[in-house]
Amino acid sequence: MPLESSSQRRRPWEEKNPLIAGVLAYLIPGAGHLYQGRWFKGIVYFVCILGTFFGGMKLGEGAVVYHLPNNRFGISLNYLAQVCVGMPALPAIYQAKRAKEGSNQPVRELNAPLETPFIGQLVTYGPGEETVSGELIGTVELKTSFSGSFPETAGVFRGTMNGQQTELQLSGGLMIERPISAGFERPLECMVSRKLDQHPHESQAIRGTIPRALVDAYCAPPDPNKIKDLHGRLGKFYDLAIAFTMIAGLLNVLAVWDAIEGPAYGFGDEEAPDESSSKEPSSAAETPAKSEAKPLAAKA
Amino acid sequence: MAGFLGAADLQVSLYLFPLAAVISLVYSASRYELTDKILVRAFKLFCQIVGFMGMVFAVLWFFSLGM
Repeated sequence: MPLESSSQRRRPWEEKNPLIAGVLAYLIPGAGHLYQGRWFKGIVYFVCILGTFFGGMKLGEGAVVYHLPNNRFGISLNYLAQVCVGMPALPAIYQAKRAKEGSNQPVRELNAPLETPFIGQLVTYGPGEETVSGELIGTVELKTSFSGSFPETAGVFRGTMNGQQTELQLSGGLMIERPISAGFERPLECMVSRKLDQHPHESQAIRGTIPRALVDAYCAPPDPNKIKDLHGRLGKFYDLAIAFTMIAGLLNVLAVWDAIEGPAYGFGDEEAPDESSSKEPSSAAETPAKSEAKPLAAKA
Repeated sequence: MAGFLGAADLQVSLYLFPLAAVISLVYSASRYELTDKILVRAFKLFCQIVGFMGMVFAVLWFFSLGM
């Protein structure tokens, strides 16, 4: 038996401005409920919705939430669902504009010296073949200088190859993926300086990734090659990651609705309507959905 | 069983449990206000979702026997 009837209870969603609550609930899942003083619900929405969203982002290596305007609708269906999660997905709109800028091109020469962690491989190119000579972990230092009228990028890799300390002189053939793109790893490739005893038809290069800044990677649209790579490596997990982020957005629609209008079925402990006063007593008692829906009608 | 459900498929399926839990909890929270009611309904809904998935899995497994 409830201690007080539902009509006597406080209705926190009616005590605060529903517009503010709705906007807060949209921007940060659960924030609207915290604003209304509904702590349990606020925490449930915050943890569940953001946990699902960022879980999906992690599973898809940060390349699942992006805005690539669809020619037919102006927005992709994926992003339409994802953007319902609010602030965590909104940067995609700005990142799409940044990614389109002309300056966002693959880097072949550097404006400033680069020193950054590097993980990758030493690849040896022979006539018609390509072999991996070792796994590299360390840092690369690169700098572009002008010899005559041609820019030349050179530098050094310091770190380990297959666990053993090594240092490789780098020279030319620099290619770094464009700065603003999805994924927290940015592919880099650079040729290794030729050695005196090296076979004339053989050359070596380092190929791997350097970290990409969070502001350049978060919600940025991925390159088509990146999507292919993710599909190849992650398989179904990539689709699952997209589904997680979309479901998080759709769940936030329920949370926003709850912040504005209150719970759909009332408090949850309302007494079932008196059977003698009901026109269809047997069906109301037998069907839980109908008995649950009664408080809504009473509220309206 | 291993032939019907590969290791990767099994791993993907495991992700559905936390997803079902989250959906149950958020859906129930949007239906009711009382904490006890939300938790009880969420648990029932979670069992229904997992039960339904299990049933579909069993049917598909049955029809895939001998394939």
